[in-house]
Amino acid sequence: MHPPTTFSLLDADGQEKQFPPEGPVLLALVKEDCDTCNLTLPLLEAVHRATDDGLDVWVAVQKRDDIAVLKERHDLTMPLLDDDALDLSYETDIDTVPTLFLYDQGQNCTLQTFGFDKHEWREIASESMTLAGRSGGDTAIDWESLPEQRPGCGARNYEPGVYERLQALKSGDLLSRVVDLASSDDLHEFMYDQGYTDGFPVVPPTRERVWKMLQGAPRDPQEEVAIMPPNLAPITVEKIAINAVMAGAKPEYLPSIIALVEIACTESFNIHGVLATTMGATPVGVFNGPIRDRIGMNYLHGALGSGNRANAAIGRALRLCARNVGGSVPGGTDRATQGGPHRLTMNFAENEDASPWESLAVEYGFAPTDDVATLMAMSGGPATVADERSRDGRGMAGTLALSMSCMQDPKSPMVDTLVVLSPDHAGIFGRSGWSKDDVRECIMEETSIPLKYRLRSEDAGCGLPPSIIDRFGGEAALDVPVPKFRDKSNIILVVAGSSAAKFSTILGGWAGGVYSTPTSAMIGPSGALTIRGARGADMDKRASGGRDLGAFEPNIRRP
Amino acid sequence: MVTQILDPTDERVPIKRSLTPRPEALHGTVALLDISKPRGDVFLDRLEELLHERAPGIETRRFMKPTVAKPAPEPIKQAILEECDFVIEALAD
Repeated sequence: MHPPTTFSLLDADGQEKQFPPEGPVLLALVKEDCDTCNLTLPLLEAVHRATDDGLDVWVAVQKRDDIAVLKERHDLTMPLLDDDALDLSYETDIDTVPTLFLYDQGQNCTLQTFGFDKHEWREIASESMTLAGRSGGDTAIDWESLPEQRPGCGARNYEPGVYERLQALKSGDLLSRVVDLASSDDLHEFMYDQGYTDGFPVVPPTRERVWKMLQGAPRDPQEEVAIMPPNLAPITVEKIAINAVMAGAKPEYLPSIIALVEIACTESFNIHGVLATTMGATPVGVFNGPIRDRIGMNYLHGALGSGNRANAAIGRALRLCARNVGGSVPGGTDRATQGGPHRLTMNFAENEDASPWESLAVEYGFAPTDDVATLMAMSGGPATVADERSRDGRGMAGTLALSMSCMQDPKSPMVDTLVVLSPDHAGIFGRSGWSKDDVRECIMEETSIPLKYRLRSEDAGCGLPPSIIDRFGGEAALDVPVPKFRDKSNIILVVAGSSAAKFSTILGGWAGGVYSTPTSAMIGPSGALTIRGARGADMDKRASGGRDLGAFEPNIRRP
Repeated sequence: MVTQILDPTDERVPIKRSLTPRPEALHGTVALLDISKPRGDVFLDRLEELLHERAPGIETRRFMKPTVAKPAPEPIKQAILEECDFVIEALAD
């Protein structure tokens, strides 16, 4: 607590009282529903009467309506000041009432105490008499009848809800524009009208909620986290927190949401392209490590769907950041031809215990104990692969390969995919002793068809231009097998869901993984600690722009 | 009742952009920009043919973005600005 130096409050008659008055003063802060305050208010009144005009006794009451109650209850004549707004309580940062500050003639605070300690209160009463020029005088207080000690009560400025409101208003942490609503505005309709939402209602980002959200990540709220495409707008921690509130997130999700924003804005992930593409891609997040349980993410029943706050809100917060700060709005710079429901949010945790393999994060170079989020760009929504008959790895991989063969279009050889295996399907591979690479290589082989079947034809206009054979050895190339995927690394394997049944999910990626590569971040207390591309080393957290992401070419070897 | 919320947007005031004055007639060099989308070249080939046929005397220059997924690199934009009088972009599919 800090003894105040100057302030101005109204007294019970509405008269402004300027602190400090001339001469010595005893200042107390109290509230009505506190037994210790009620015990000590008669003592303060006694000091007031005994010191007469030699010393001012001012009592600041933390609630306006309580002034009259206390005045009548204790027959008080000393000035009672209105600190209903808690300006004085906040500035002095008291956490207990009653709190006392005694100032001498030079406005130096010489004694202070809180709660009731008879020894300290006697000292303050005695010193008050001395300062008033009545050294040794009688305050008419029956000290013997008083207890030795009574704890104080929690000050109103530290009550839940009140503390956050005061911090939000007075801490200076929040610098975003305040949007005033008219009394006739319906808050939710107003936010829809402003284009702030993704079509569902959002939690109103009040100052209190945003301040509380910021407590989830110990970081300067004004720190610029990234440059958010497509408008290339700087996005601060505060802006992320506002959108996180709107998405329904809890403060403990904030470091993850900041990390996702950082990943999204890397050159490697290229959220500019992901959100602008006519193909309708969207960031899909996969979480690994202890954070999954710490923030209550779902990796069991219905992991890819609704019903879990962390899964839903973290992904939604990233999308709202892209919309509200980045300016990615469907029909504007978001040119998705159709899009899909996974564009609202798609974010889940890997069921690491049920996987026969190392987790996605470990595969990408992190430790099992690291908290890691990986973003990948997916344009195809979840498609179910049902196989209740396969009993070995070969059979299961064959089912996956057949299911993937029509992805995007049956002839396309430039696809990438996220395969979310159920524990039952993953277990088949585990029991067969198949590694992730065994699965990928089998899928590469099983999806390979001669180049001639991947060429455009009269009966199906999709496929590669027939002239492509000129670049790969002419007619002889027609029978060269061409896999569905440019590279086996375009087949991403994770495990999620419960062991309910033998159903897995495949999602189609975006443009063969050429324009956006899976990118991971180790999540620290306030965002990404390191960011790593799946196929590269650590990278700068900030996009540098202009990097050539490689050719958009099928994987055709010369005959 | 909530009467105040914080602005979730970037708070930037939109910048007013004015169009470059339109020339009265076609002359000089026309840049034909392929953004690397399928069949953009087919479209621009035909357009180039028609330009030479209907506006004899003009020159055409072909440019191509390295990737459809990102804005054109600065050197391409600079070359079009410095070397050409017009630009036609084969946009989207």
